[in-house]
Amino acid sequence: MIDFHQVEKHYGQFHVLKTIDLHVQEGEVVVVVGPSGSGKSTMLRCINRLETITSGGLTVDGITVNERKTDINKLRKEIGMVFQHFNLYPHKKVIDNITLAPIKVLGLSKAEAEKTAMYYLEKVGIADKAHAYPSQLSGGQQQRVAIARGLAMKPKIMLFDEPTSALDPEMVGEVLDVMRTLAKEGMTMVVVTHEMGFAKEVADRVIFMDQGQIVEEAEPAQFFASPREERTRTFLSRVLSH
Amino acid sequence: MDFSILTDYFGLYLEGFWGTILSSVLALIGSFLLGSVIAVFRITTVKGLRWFGTGYVEFVRNIPLLLVVYIFYYGPSALGFPLDGFKAGTIGLAVYTSAFIAEAIRAGIMAVPKGQMEAARSSGLSYIQTMMHVILPQAIKLVIPPLGNQFINLIKNSSVLTIVAGMDLMYFADSISTETYRTFDTYIFVAVFYLVLTLPLSYGVRVWERRLQRKY
Repeated sequence: MIDFHQVEKHYGQFHVLKTIDLHVQEGEVVVVVGPSGSGKSTMLRCINRLETITSGGLTVDGITVNERKTDINKLRKEIGMVFQHFNLYPHKKVIDNITLAPIKVLGLSKAEAEKTAMYYLEKVGIADKAHAYPSQLSGGQQQRVAIARGLAMKPKIMLFDEPTSALDPEMVGEVLDVMRTLAKEGMTMVVVTHEMGFAKEVADRVIFMDQGQIVEEAEPAQFFASPREERTRTFLSRVLSH
Repeated sequence: MDFSILTDYFGLYLEGFWGTILSSVLALIGSFLLGSVIAVFRITTVKGLRWFGTGYVEFVRNIPLLLVVYIFYYGPSALGFPLDGFKAGTIGLAVYTSAFIAEAIRAGIMAVPKGQMEAARSSGLSYIQTMMHVILPQAIKLVIPPLGNQFINLIKNSSVLTIVAGMDLMYFADSISTETYRTFDTYIFVAVFYLVLTLPLSYGVRVWERRLQRKY
């Protein structure tokens, strides 16, 4: 579904991504962990071309992402994205946040789009907030709206960029619950997160990145119980010991 | 104060008042359209357009308004198609103000958080759709106060038409004062006419701003 082949990325002198090889199967949940500045968000953002790559190959659903003739808007329809800071449109009501892209990009009628929106709001448990503005919602609610907004496009892939990092601790659970349900239903997901519990429980595969490289990838049981690399062990001992 | 000046010369005052209104409205529309286009040039990734936009803004806003008006008054006549004072003055006013409006709009667009563009684009919206439905509606809220200031300045600056005989309020006031020798009184009434235009505008901008503030 997603294929990185020898991908390199430079920001001027800075080598952000070093020879990334990563293959994500359809229906797979891949969780990416690692210290900040390790390139995990950058790698994620390459998938829908919010970041460009310097060299190497990157295909999503068989389509080459970084090619002139690729219709990027068409590709992005298939890839939902959830951001750390939610990025809801503050001037639009919750329902209008969700229906904007389905109406403008998929060409749905307003009625159809609203029906779909209500279905997903129901699913993330905040249908009663459909006519509120984002500023009237808690962080956890906003992030659930953002997930519903992504799902309303009926994408093949969902990308999560530290979706719980900006939330109060007591709201992390409600967002992770939604993501857990989504994973169970077979959505292809790539999740950048610091939530090790979520990685352990939900991931099919865990990727550990450091200094722009994929240091280790393994099934969660093995990853957390007996990591191969010294660097992974150091990282895990730091994040799990408190 | 001698109110007979106002009553005796009311026709001339009105003619000038009308000239000022017409010039201001035309310049306001022109400067807004021109300023919006230049603002887009300033933020586009197309290098040539960006340079043009920057050059335009830096040239126009860093020379005196009077000089801009002279360019449109003496320039065309040197080239063989003279413009009258009203046209040259109004065009000059529009061009001059457009540089400030472009900067206000650009600043408003830049002030919308980057995540808004990213969220909209990653949902498959095109750049234009994102601008129309996500960025500009948020930018407008930030742009209204500086835009209101520019429009008030524009009305006051329209007095520059006097210099090129543009048939505005100040122009007629000049001739009233030469006839009556009551210079001070004549111009006090002129101030009142300007306030009749600028105060409601000022108030309207504030109301609009408050209404948008309340919405979200």
